[in-house]
Amino acid sequence: MSDLPPMLVALPILGAVATMLVGLVRSETGWPVAVLTSVLQVGAAGVLARGALRHGPVRYAVGGFAAPYGIELVVDGLSATMALLVASVALGVLAYARKAGPRSNPFYATYLLLVGGLTGISVTGDVFNMYVFLEISGLATYALVASGDRGESALAALKYLLVGTFGASLFLLGIGYAYVATGTLNMADLSAQLAEAGHTTPLVVAAFSLMVVGLFVKVAVFPLHAWQPTAYAGAPDTVSGLISALVSTVAAYALIRIVFTVFTVDFLHANPSAWRVLVAGSVASIVTGSLLAVSQSEIKRMLAYSSVSQFGLIVGAVAVANVTALTGAAIHLVGHAVMKGGLFLTTGTVAGETGARTVDDYGGLAKRFPAGSGVFGILAFALVGVPPAVGFVGKLYIVLGAIEAGAWLLASVIVGSTLLTLAYVARLVERMFFWEPEGEGRGDGGDGAKSASVLDEATGGEPGGASRGMKAAVLAAAVVAVVLGAAAFGYGQLIEPTILRLVS
Amino acid sequence: MIHVASVRPLGAVLVSAIAVALILASRGRPDVRESWTLLASVAKFGTVASMVPGVLAGQVYVTDLGPFLPGVEFSLRADPLGLLFGLVASGLWLVTSLYSIGYMRGLDEGSQTRYFAAFAGSLSAAVGVAFASNLVVMFVFYELLAVATYPLVAHDGTGEARAAGRKYLAYTFGGGVAVLTGSLIVLWATGTTAFSPGGISGLAAADPVVARGAFALLAAGFGVKAALMPLHSWLPDAMVAPTPVSALLHAVAVVKAGVFGIARLVLDVFGPDLMTDLGMGLPLAGVAAFTLLAASLIALRQDNLKRRLAYSTVSQLSYIVLGLAVLSPVSLAGALLHIPAHAFMKITMFFCAGAIHVETHTDNISEMGGIGARMPLTMAAFAVAAAGMAGIPLVAGFVSKYFLLIGTLTAGRAVFTVALLVSGVLNIAYFWPVVYAAFFESRGKADHKPVVEGEPGGRFSGSVATTSFEGGHGYRRAQREDWGRRAPTGAESTWLMLGPILAAAAGAIVLGVVPDAAVFLRIVRLIVAGVTGVAI
Repeated sequence: MSDLPPMLVALPILGAVATMLVGLVRSETGWPVAVLTSVLQVGAAGVLARGALRHGPVRYAVGGFAAPYGIELVVDGLSATMALLVASVALGVLAYARKAGPRSNPFYATYLLLVGGLTGISVTGDVFNMYVFLEISGLATYALVASGDRGESALAALKYLLVGTFGASLFLLGIGYAYVATGTLNMADLSAQLAEAGHTTPLVVAAFSLMVVGLFVKVAVFPLHAWQPTAYAGAPDTVSGLISALVSTVAAYALIRIVFTVFTVDFLHANPSAWRVLVAGSVASIVTGSLLAVSQSEIKRMLAYSSVSQFGLIVGAVAVANVTALTGAAIHLVGHAVMKGGLFLTTGTVAGETGARTVDDYGGLAKRFPAGSGVFGILAFALVGVPPAVGFVGKLYIVLGAIEAGAWLLASVIVGSTLLTLAYVARLVERMFFWEPEGEGRGDGGDGAKSASVLDEATGGEPGGASRGMKAAVLAAAVVAVVLGAAAFGYGQLIEPTILRLVS
Repeated sequence: MIHVASVRPLGAVLVSAIAVALILASRGRPDVRESWTLLASVAKFGTVASMVPGVLAGQVYVTDLGPFLPGVEFSLRADPLGLLFGLVASGLWLVTSLYSIGYMRGLDEGSQTRYFAAFAGSLSAAVGVAFASNLVVMFVFYELLAVATYPLVAHDGTGEARAAGRKYLAYTFGGGVAVLTGSLIVLWATGTTAFSPGGISGLAAADPVVARGAFALLAAGFGVKAALMPLHSWLPDAMVAPTPVSALLHAVAVVKAGVFGIARLVLDVFGPDLMTDLGMGLPLAGVAAFTLLAASLIALRQDNLKRRLAYSTVSQLSYIVLGLAVLSPVSLAGALLHIPAHAFMKITMFFCAGAIHVETHTDNISEMGGIGARMPLTMAAFAVAAAGMAGIPLVAGFVSKYFLLIGTLTAGRAVFTVALLVSGVLNIAYFWPVVYAAFFESRGKADHKPVVEGEPGGRFSGSVATTSFEGGHGYRRAQREDWGRRAPTGAESTWLMLGPILAAAAGAIVLGVVPDAAVFLRIVRLIVAGVTGVAI
């Protein structure tokens, strides 16, 4: 039990190495090794989450060096949730990846490396260590985005690399300032020392600003979001599914961790301008993200802008900074991962089955691929926040929190975001179900290059090849999105002590 | 009231949700598919009806599914008010299911599986709204109702239908957002949103500004579906949907869900006493009075029969809201009784409009001269329902309007009494031309209709488009020919449509002749006594 936290980080990284080593002996072994690793990872994360949610935080001093000098891993309810989410989504996407590819061994190794990096961010209790994992996962993501064999993928990866590194550098700079102010890197220690140094001193405020803006880049908060649509749209479908579900989610977790564990609520109270930055980021993201989503013609870009908007909700919850809103943030992080990941995978499945990739291609989709349209419809309405799906519950907690805090502007923007989301969702749903199919219909992939990148050479680049694994993964996402809504209250109760500790 | 734990409220909601899956599963076999619809509607009505004796004896059936949010239980509760709405919706679904089959097959419509599945889903949501035990659970079903009815509105897939669907989604989700915000403010201010007859006690202690804000949000949110002006314009547009949808959903289930929401709000969330203290009754009554007069006036000029009915619905729904907002026990009784009364009458009229459409493809009143000879039973039923709508005795509308008139008078709000009377006259003015055209005019020799044809500036357009008359159960007719004459023995259409028409009209008459024997008035008395303590 006590050794589980480091195991959780080490397991995927070892899996990544194993993938390459086994691959030397026999090719085509990447997938089984990745699945085995992921199953173990889900089990370990599950056991750890159970412990952390029931009995409070699990702490582990890496290498026996005690905090505040050594690196400490701290797994509380929120970290455990993220670790479990990362592991489960990774496993689900693997089911999808088997046919959809890219299927090389290096791909699976990078895939596991990303899982390791994201898990590391979730469980670490040390800010510098967090930066290291942020970089590991960042580099892994750049490589994954570039794994599509189109020029577009390479360009997207390059753009992401430049912007992402910029964000990470800001984050590192912020850590440096905090270190100068306090002489420590351990999160728990930092929060006490920062308070001692004075929450309003320029050094501390600068540290906060740099770290938060750095994370805004990683979360893709408007106007620092520009990398995201390119990356999600340029990456292969499998990768879009994985990173849209996890990368920004874990970055948002890091934001919550930095704001509440390191700087604490008192810092927000002492610096109204810090609070204002969070509110502004939230409102700008929600509104602009949705408006940009409405104006997209490519489905994956639309979904990417939708993510910008949805993470605006999370940032809003951070700004509200009370128990109800942060419980909502935790629920929405999980819910959004399932819904958005599911939507991206559905997009890939639809492309595999019919070749449709743009909003116009989706005209009359229900007649060509009823199951896919149905799943897309369910996930999309869940994203709008139609009850009882999880998208509704998370949003509801955040709004209730905003009302409790008297943050009426945020409350009305978040409630209004339902209508903004509806605008881009209804546009697609209407096309899918109430338009007649245009053009040649089934089998017309628009252009061969696009379909080939989805289905790679093994299926000959022919649409009509959505595998059973792909369909199962997509269906599971839809079911989970609805079922989680019912489970959200129980989870909210479980995580309440964690959140209380966070905001006290 | 005695609370009885029972699965029946949940069962009543779920039975048609299960039917959705079965309908989708048997999409290749229309007869099997339709039998699922019929089976579910019988089971649903049976489940709801089985709770009537218990509720009349003072019991409340509760299905508790555990906590949903902090302070909010996900529980379903069949209390008298919920049962009133549940009974109307599920009972008329049974009738509409038969009618739907006749209508959809008569027109050979496409996407029938989606149609029947969405219909069953809508009814699940509507009964969920009826049995919701608090505002948040009610919101859950309220939103699901919006989503489930969207495919029905946009069913045709034409540009017009899609535009109506978009408008419908935008309006209802906008309303939903207002309801959610209002509910959460109530939750925040009082720690609960559970309905209790006479109002949530904690709300009286809350800041009046907050309470008024919450009321305004909730009333506006429910007002969208209740088609209060200026939030009504989705309803006439939604008439592009197949007629059974207009009949059950846009005269009964969906719009009444809005009215029912306002009833819950007035009776069980704020309560008449707090409403009076906050001074919220009068503004709401003012909006309702304006709506019922303005909508009646607009109805006068609609030549499309379904649109005229839609504006009539807008007007009649505001009768209910007005009665609720006046807050006197008698007006409350009138308002609540108008829920089933209007439902039976209006569904009859929509069924008639649909039957005319299927048999003759005629939609405009100006083209219906002499149609009474072709469809005698249908038009007779229409005439009966129209008479009731105007408040003529022996039909359902008389009883509820009588209560409304007395209620507004005794509450000292004579201005609303006058509004109701004026609207009653307007009712006759816009329904009589239909009956007159059907029975006293003949094809192609219609009188001038200055009110409909006249341009607002006073010029006459005079041109009336002709339509073709094909389709409808094998009847084919040449243009400009006389309608022909059919004996009132059912030869005018299929019994699948005629039966529901006559059943609904008969229901309207039963409610009007022996209101005490019909169960609705007894339920209404129970509700009013529970909320105000006054026996009607």
